[in-house]
Amino acid sequence: MDVAGMQLSDDEVAAAGMTQAPAAQVPALVQRHGRWWCERCGQTNLVRLPDGRWYCPHCVVLGRLTSTSQLYRFANAAATAGPLTWHGQLTPAQAQAAREVTAAALARRDHLVWAVTGAGKTELLFLAVAAVLARGERVAWASPRVDVVLELAPRLQAAFATTPVAVRYGGAPWPSVAAPLVVTTTHQLLRYYHAFGLIIVDEIDAFPYAAESGLAYAVQQAKLGAMIALTATPSATLRRAVSRQTIGVSRLTRRFHGHPLPVPQLQLVRAAQLPNRLAPRLLRQIARALVGAGRLLLFVPAVAWLSVVARQLQQLGHVATVHATDPARQAKVQALRRGAVDILVTTTILERGVTIPHCAVMVLGANSPLFSAAALIQMAGRAGRASTSPDDPVWFVTPHVTRNVLAARREIRALNRAVAP
Amino acid sequence: MKCLLCRQPLTQNWVLSQLVCGAPVRLPPICANCAAQFDPIDPATACPGCGRADSPTLCADCQRWQASGEPLLHHRAQFQYTPAMKALIYQFKGLGDYRLAGAFADLPRPGRAGDVLVPLPSEPGHWRERGFDPVLALFGHWGLTPLLAKADTAAPQASKTRAQRLATPQSFRVVRPLPRRRIILLDDVYTTGRTLYHAADALRAAGFAGEVVSFSLIR
Repeated sequence: MDVAGMQLSDDEVAAAGMTQAPAAQVPALVQRHGRWWCERCGQTNLVRLPDGRWYCPHCVVLGRLTSTSQLYRFANAAATAGPLTWHGQLTPAQAQAAREVTAAALARRDHLVWAVTGAGKTELLFLAVAAVLARGERVAWASPRVDVVLELAPRLQAAFATTPVAVRYGGAPWPSVAAPLVVTTTHQLLRYYHAFGLIIVDEIDAFPYAAESGLAYAVQQAKLGAMIALTATPSATLRRAVSRQTIGVSRLTRRFHGHPLPVPQLQLVRAAQLPNRLAPRLLRQIARALVGAGRLLLFVPAVAWLSVVARQLQQLGHVATVHATDPARQAKVQALRRGAVDILVTTTILERGVTIPHCAVMVLGANSPLFSAAALIQMAGRAGRASTSPDDPVWFVTPHVTRNVLAARREIRALNRAVAP
Repeated sequence: MKCLLCRQPLTQNWVLSQLVCGAPVRLPPICANCAAQFDPIDPATACPGCGRADSPTLCADCQRWQASGEPLLHHRAQFQYTPAMKALIYQFKGLGDYRLAGAFADLPRPGRAGDVLVPLPSEPGHWRERGFDPVLALFGHWGLTPLLAKADTAAPQASKTRAQRLATPQSFRVVRPLPRRRIILLDDVYTTGRTLYHAADALRAAGFAGEVVSFSLIR
């Protein structure tokens, strides 16, 4: 079992039976200026238990830390990694961004890769990862969701064929070998301390990273060098940091295949039609999209809409629904890719990180306050991913136009106008 | 305000009468989406013996309790033990996230006004580990009468099979003077009923002659 660079609670250490391994020991919760503070996630607002102890509710899902707990910080180990075994071709724009990212990573400067959906972010980071590994430092690649971690790990293993790759997520078995390259959910970074010469944070504006300040703290605690943030839709804070030049940025405004992003078309409908009585016109349109693109991702704002909408689409083809707690989520996405499912009705859970070639996108109830402009851009970005069908249609179906809908369209148009650097 | 469970912002559509009638205006502890994950048990179709959902007549388990000579507890439970509830109970009791008790702060007090509510206590070992008593955390605001104490047992009920659970020996004793009114025993989860029947036996063995019924959050 490998614990290099990790910080574990006394419960975890006891359960794993490694009380002998050398580690720095610190109290898990400390008082600062009269307020309790969690050493693992950096949060205050802790909760007092009836027996007088305090505990941290913010990172309790990793195992509870109380005011009598200890954190064991294990020494980091030198990493011996193999070379980059990926020999693919980067577009000139990707190659330029790759050089900038590698320079930032080696200089331990934080850097943002602001790239449109489908620009090929993953490949352009390989050079930076290889450069940091070659220095003998470890690299963590953090994604918001387990699905993405599981999809990414084999790609990284293929690109670094002779380097051990560890996969970390809640419920994953403990790493058995010292791995220089760690593919992890962002939450698991809370279990590392001063371990990585480079941390890549994918989808930096997505839930949960944006919603939980503990995760930003986790990245700061886990890294020794640079953080490279990836997103297609940076938050307002990040955009400000870019314009003030407090963080370096590489922009990619074209997809890898060089075609523009599909621009969403607005489709105004009566409010009463959503979601219970979809108009025949809308159903005919969906049928046409299926003939044209082959398959359709249909986004809805609430779990309750899934079955209602799916029932009305039954006669158009094979329909499946998917939501965050659906255990068969991966299988249904696979079925859509294979063509066993024609229409996948989904909540925002599939808004990011899924690549399905030949896929039209429709957002029902695009006016929902749950759909931010960033979410709408991401959903629209599921269409046109293949170079053989870069213009799959995208519709925003809504009873009225909202600022978010307009902002999303404006931004997509602006990206299409921008000339690739 | 954020939902205690999913941490999303809470929204509530207020009706004017709610705002002007003078009653305290406050948000529910959990959002409608999270609340909808839990399946409430309809008391009209629940088993009259144990409160199991969709069993209008006495279920097989309760017939066995009756055959063994136990006066039935006429147990009532609020929710079914669905996967969503199981996950919540794991975080609350397993991980020790004390705060989650607040998710059910709006439950109505069971029984009639004069009833004495008696919580089933934690084992001392569990209390030391968790730092709180789950039953008191859930129901403490109702005004409880802690009559019982529990000795440490070899293994927690949650780790046993059904047959092992039913064979668990008595570990309750009465530590306070008994009331004369009806007693409602309170627990977090009713599984086989073994724990609650032991508690009722302990009360009767100590000389309580009145009626004993029971209530739990989950069945």
